[in-house]
This record gives sequence, C-alpha cells and structure tokens, in this order.
Amino acid sequence: MNNFAWANLFRSDSKEKSVLETLKQTHIFGSLSKRELQLVIQTIHVRDYAPGEIVFSQGELGIGMYIILNGKVDVMATDPSGSDEPRLVTQLESGDFFGELALVEKQGRRTATAKASVESSLIGFFKPDLLEILDRQPQTGSKIVLRLAEVLGRRLKQTSVKLTELRAETLKNSGRTKV
Amino acid sequence: MKLTLTRQIRRLNRIRLFVFFLLLVFLLTAVFVIENLLVSTLVAFVISYLLNPIVNHLERRGFSRMWSTFWTFTLVGGLIGLTAFLVFPIFSSAILGLQQEAPKYIEGLSQLIEELEKHLKGFSGPLLSLDLREYAVSSLTQGSEVFFNRLPGFLKQTFTVMMLGPFLAFFMVKDGRAILRQTFNLIPNHIFETALSLQHQINHQLGFFVRARLFEALLVGLVTWLGLVLIDFPFSLLLALFAAVTNLIPYIGPLIGMIPALVIALVNGSSSFDLFLVFGVYAIAQFIDGFVLIPFFVAKIVNLHPVTVIIVIIAGSQFMGILGMIISIPLTSAAKVTLEAVYRHLTESRI
Repeated sequence: MNNFAWANLFRSDSKEKSVLETLKQTHIFGSLSKRELQLVIQTIHVRDYAPGEIVFSQGELGIGMYIILNGKVDVMATDPSGSDEPRLVTQLESGDFFGELALVEKQGRRTATAKASVESSLIGFFKPDLLEILDRQPQTGSKIVLRLAEVLGRRLKQTSVKLTELRAETLKNSGRTKV
Repeated sequence: MKLTLTRQIRRLNRIRLFVFFLLLVFLLTAVFVIENLLVSTLVAFVISYLLNPIVNHLERRGFSRMWSTFWTFTLVGGLIGLTAFLVFPIFSSAILGLQQEAPKYIEGLSQLIEELEKHLKGFSGPLLSLDLREYAVSSLTQGSEVFFNRLPGFLKQTFTVMMLGPFLAFFMVKDGRAILRQTFNLIPNHIFETALSLQHQINHQLGFFVRARLFEALLVGLVTWLGLVLIDFPFSLLLALFAAVTNLIPYIGPLIGMIPALVIALVNGSSSFDLFLVFGVYAIAQFIDGFVLIPFFVAKIVNLHPVTVIIVIIAGSQFMGILGMIISIPLTSAAKVTLEAVYRHLTESRI
C-alpha cells in the first residue's frame, strides 16, 4: 500500500509482461499480433485502485472500458423500482472487462457503478486511445473495432434472449392470474 | 475501516493533484522566465500540429514512429532550408532596398498627410488645429530607425527560435504522447476520464485551428505575392509576407496588410488605374479567403469579437512589442478554443 500512489509512474517490466498477457487473453484484443499489441500497450493506461475506490459511477459520462489486470471489481446498479441503495449485479475478476459500450457511444452514460472491492490494477482503454490507434494503424484499429462489435452484438443477443424469456414469463404469469 | 480507506484515497488524490499542478506551474514558469523559450515552445506546438498528420500518415504506411518523425522532419526541414536558401538573397535585397528607400517613402507619406491636413483644415476651419505631418514624420523616422537597428537582434532571436522550436517539436511529435501519458498518471482516478476526454478535445480543436489559420495565411500570402508580381509592383515578396502575417489578425488584419502597398503606390505617384490594380490584388486575396477558404476550411473556427481583437493587440504590443502583436491573436484564439472545449465538456457532462 506504501507505493500505491506512485506505482503508475514506475511501472516495472514484469507488470508490462502481465499487461501484454492480459491484453492477449481479452477478446477485444485477441486477434492482434505481438507487434500490434505493443502499439496498444503504448496507448492504454494502467490505473491502480484502493479497496472501496469507485472506478466510475452510474449516470456519469463514460469514455471507455476497463480490463482487470489484478484484483476484483464490484458492479452495482440502483434498482429501477426506486431503491436508493445500489444492488450488487456482479463481481468481476482478473481478465474480465467492463464499460466497453462507452467506447462507441456518443455522450454515453454509465449504466452501473464499478467499485474496486480489493486493491486492484485496471487497464483503461478509452475512446481517444481507440481513435489514436485508428489514426496511426487503421488495420489494428479495425481489428479492435470488429471484435468490439462482436462483443456488443453478443451482449445485445443475450439481452434480447433475456427480454424474450422475461416477456414469456410475464405473459405466463398474467395468464395464470386471469385463470 | 471504510472511513479510513476513503480518507486515504482522498489524501492520495490530493497528493497526485498537487504534484500535477506543481509540475504544470514549474513548466509554465520555465517557459515564461527562460529567454526565447515561450516563442520557441509556441513555434514547436505549431510545427508539431502541422507535421503530426504527415508523421501519422507515414506510420500508417508501416514506418516506426521514430523513423516517420525523423524522415518528416528531415524532408520538410530540407525543403524549408532550400526555399530559405533560394529566397533569402531576394528577401535581404528587398530589405536593403526598403532601408534605402525608406526616407523617400517617409517624405512622400508626410506630404500625403500634409495634403490631408490641408483638406481637413479647409473643411473644419479654425476649429481643428492639428500638426499631423510633424507627428507622423517623427514617429515614422523613429520607428524605421528602431526597426532597422533592431532587425539584427530580432533576426538573431529568430535564429535561436528557429533552432530551438523544431528541436522541441521533434520530441513533441515523437514522444509527446508518451510524455503526456506519464503526466496523466498523476491525475487522480475519479477525474481521469474527464481529464483525458478534455485533453483530447482541446488537442483536436487546437490542431484544427493552427492548421486552418496557417493554411489561410499561406494562401493569402501566395495570392497577394502572385498578384503583385503580375502587376509588377515593388517589394512584392515583403508585402505578401506582411499580408500573410497580418491576415492572422481577424477583421483589421487584412486592412493593415494592405496599407503599406497603398502607401508605396501613392508615394510613387501611381495612376488611379494602378491604385485600383493594387487594391484589386488584395481584394481578390480576401475574396478567395472569405468565400473559398473560410467556408470550407476555417468555418469551424470561432472568431474573436472585434473589441477583443483590439484590446488583445494593444495588450500584446505593450507586453512584447511587435512580436506580442503578432502572437497575441493566435494565443487568445487558442485560449478561447480551450475555454470553449472546457465549457462544452462541463455543461454536456452535467446534462
């Protein structure tokens, strides 16, 4: 905890290797070559969080995604029913990523709050970083955008499946009530 | 336990912000205190904004950042050096010619003022008693003496800036992003995304502003030079350069740029047709600027209010003389672009 504030400034080689490994295993950067990943490493931001520190809050403007290098992040959202207390939606661990929708959204707002539950290091990849890669290496940029579209498509599919299930359940329940 | 952690996070954030601002203050102090560093840094920013797209283009072609920067600076530097080598003799002979002919133009101008004075007296009678001629002759003689005496010193300073500016610009283009990223590590987590987004917007707007304004000045200068050469007007290169530089000043810049040519034409006793031709050259340059360049390339730049322009020029001249007059407008416009980006960001993030 002593060097926590300055860890970003004096990043060690082993951390860089670990960043490379984590990026390689992240679906969005999975199709990139080692050389292309080096460019990504030059653009991303490794941020350290203390336990309980907020990564981002629900409703605020977001400009990018985070990948958990190490540690754990709690994702919480306020109940649409009106309860003020945020409810834990999921707990993410090393290698997981979140907030990717903000990379493509214009003036997108965060739909949940992310909070480090233990001391954590996150890789931040933001819209200006993506634009920089697209400007300097359009091929690498398009590979990332393609994978990003894949992820967002998959999330959309999951959401629509869930929505269909919920609708069916609601219809079933309303049918039961009528009977 | 929870409270202690929150306090610890806040303390760390405060330390980070303090170091960040300390670094910023240190850099700004260095830039303002060290001789020639302010102008050199501004020149470096302008060069980096101009050359960055070329470096990015080369990088897209597969060159590394280092080689892209190196080749861009070598080729563009070589090209500018060659142009300067070819143009400098013409430029210096024009300056010498102007220095020799300066008394003639001052005398001619004083006669013009005297005639104007007579007309004014004839119009207003004894109500208006002015001695414009003496005032104009003394200030012009003094001004031209100061200008030609200070020219070697100014050229020496320009030489220092011309060496230091590109040197700084090279590292800004090559390592600017890495340096910025390292500096951004000092920004606390809770404002990191906002700061990054803001920096990106400001950088984008400033880059556009610098490129558009310089492109505009270059074309106005080129059109003026071609026009003056076509009508066989003296000091065409110097006058075109003056028109290009003054074009950076909104509203009154183009008018100021035209004055020396009109004075030369009047003193030389040019016919009304020749005067019309000189006026026509400047009018065509402004027409191209106003109807072609501004709508297509510069439209996104928000101009300064005329009152702001006047105040800023006066303030610039008081702080840094002629150089202050030239750089005050681009600096204020850059500050305006920055403040607008900050304001837009703050208001949009609160919607």
